[in-house]
Amino acid sequence: MDTTMNRRRLLTTAALGGASIVSATALGSLAPEDALAAPSLAVEPGAVDPHFVEGRVTSITGTMLLVTSSDSSLHSIRVTDGTSIWKLRPTTFDRIAVGDGLYARGVRLPDSTLAAESVWVNIVNVRAHLAAIGRNVLHLEHRGQRIVGHVVPGTTAAVYNNTPAVADLSLLRIGRHVQVIGAWHPDTNEIDIATVYAAA
Amino acid sequence: MIQVIAALQPLLIGAVLIRAAAVKLAHRHAADSARRSALVPLVGERRAPVLYRAVGCAEFVVGALLVLPPHAWPEAAAASALAVGFLGYLGYAHRAAPDSSCGCLAAARTPVSWRGFARAGALLAAGLLATLATEHWLPTLAAHPRGGSAILLAEAAVFVALSPELDRMWLLPLRRLRARLTHPLAGGSGVPLHATVQQLQQSAAYRRVGVLLRSDVTEHWEEGELRLVCYAARYQGRRVTAVFAVPRLRYEPDAVRVALVDDATGATLLHIDSRDLDPPTDDPPATVPGAGPGPVAVEALG
Repeated sequence: MDTTMNRRRLLTTAALGGASIVSATALGSLAPEDALAAPSLAVEPGAVDPHFVEGRVTSITGTMLLVTSSDSSLHSIRVTDGTSIWKLRPTTFDRIAVGDGLYARGVRLPDSTLAAESVWVNIVNVRAHLAAIGRNVLHLEHRGQRIVGHVVPGTTAAVYNNTPAVADLSLLRIGRHVQVIGAWHPDTNEIDIATVYAAA
Repeated sequence: MIQVIAALQPLLIGAVLIRAAAVKLAHRHAADSARRSALVPLVGERRAPVLYRAVGCAEFVVGALLVLPPHAWPEAAAASALAVGFLGYLGYAHRAAPDSSCGCLAAARTPVSWRGFARAGALLAAGLLATLATEHWLPTLAAHPRGGSAILLAEAAVFVALSPELDRMWLLPLRRLRARLTHPLAGGSGVPLHATVQQLQQSAAYRRVGVLLRSDVTEHWEEGELRLVCYAARYQGRRVTAVFAVPRLRYEPDAVRVALVDDATGATLLHIDSRDLDPPTDDPPATVPGAGPGPVAVEALG
């Protein structure tokens, strides 16, 4: 906890411009061409992306996740300090559980493990109709199936007509079309809602 | 009493059958509805609309016979047979093609659910009851106007409640009213993280360093009226943390600042304030081929 506070203080000072800066010119340019020239595996057009994995977590060993993909292939994913982990909100590695679904993007290493840079756990993207609204619950109708969307106070946001997100969901209309990004409760028809996109 | 109820059934069944027949025969999207239904796996895509229309014709004939005088029990028996056929079709659709549309009472897509089964069962019960009747519904209704109307209204309400196609006429407006009265989603407060991310992505600082970012948001915290959002990044081969300072309570992408902090040494490698960056300039207007630069353009360049 102490190290987290110290680290955050360091980062805050740097962001606000209070820290002295190592001479930037000595370190090279910010041009996109240089940044994107980093070597990576050559991927043929139309081939499966080696730097992306989706599937369900079957075991967790140390910082390695073993994931079974939807085409039944197995992948090892290595999670580091620099990996972002999303499970409804930015969170830490200890929140990942066996049985969670995930998307992971990173760099495929020569030993064919994926060094993950971003992991999104149980992320779902649902285009549905709003069938009913309950207390902190949205009932969604998705291709004839019913999905229960839980509104999480403090986290759930609404984007109306592509304007900046707000926490106020009261402008949603029953019967209208919505798009929901959320976190699935594995093996149920329930999700926690991160963002609702709707027309107001 | 039973006689009264039984005599009134043909009116209700007839109305339902004629409405179903109208959808199958006269609706603009009847052919599409046929192709979305479970008739396709049953008889193939080419014959499904034909069978759909044939069923519609049968429904219309039976419905008309039930409504028009005189009363004859074979009409009610035919309606019961149709209801048995519906139940069988629904059972097949539920097993073989659960994604298909019912196509019974409306052309809109309606998956087969327990309400469809209940409705077909109610139709069968009404048909069997109608075989017990001895006279046409019209004299019965004339003899018992209030009681008869009450029975008919109650049965019609049951049918409407069991029809998912008609939900948007009564169920959704009721739900909207309830939401307007109880405000179930009121009470959201605070600025969501998503709003801060949208704002920082609009800033000039992000346009400069965005290409270096490797991850999604790793952590965030609030410091006064700012929110600090961190991403992992790579800068000249070093692993760094890109930390953005974004105004939390107002929308001002120009006030966004970013610093790149080396993960290993903690040194700040770069700091950018959006306000210091030049706003993006417009591209010079493309010249029309064949026309030289106009006098106004030449003056501006000079």
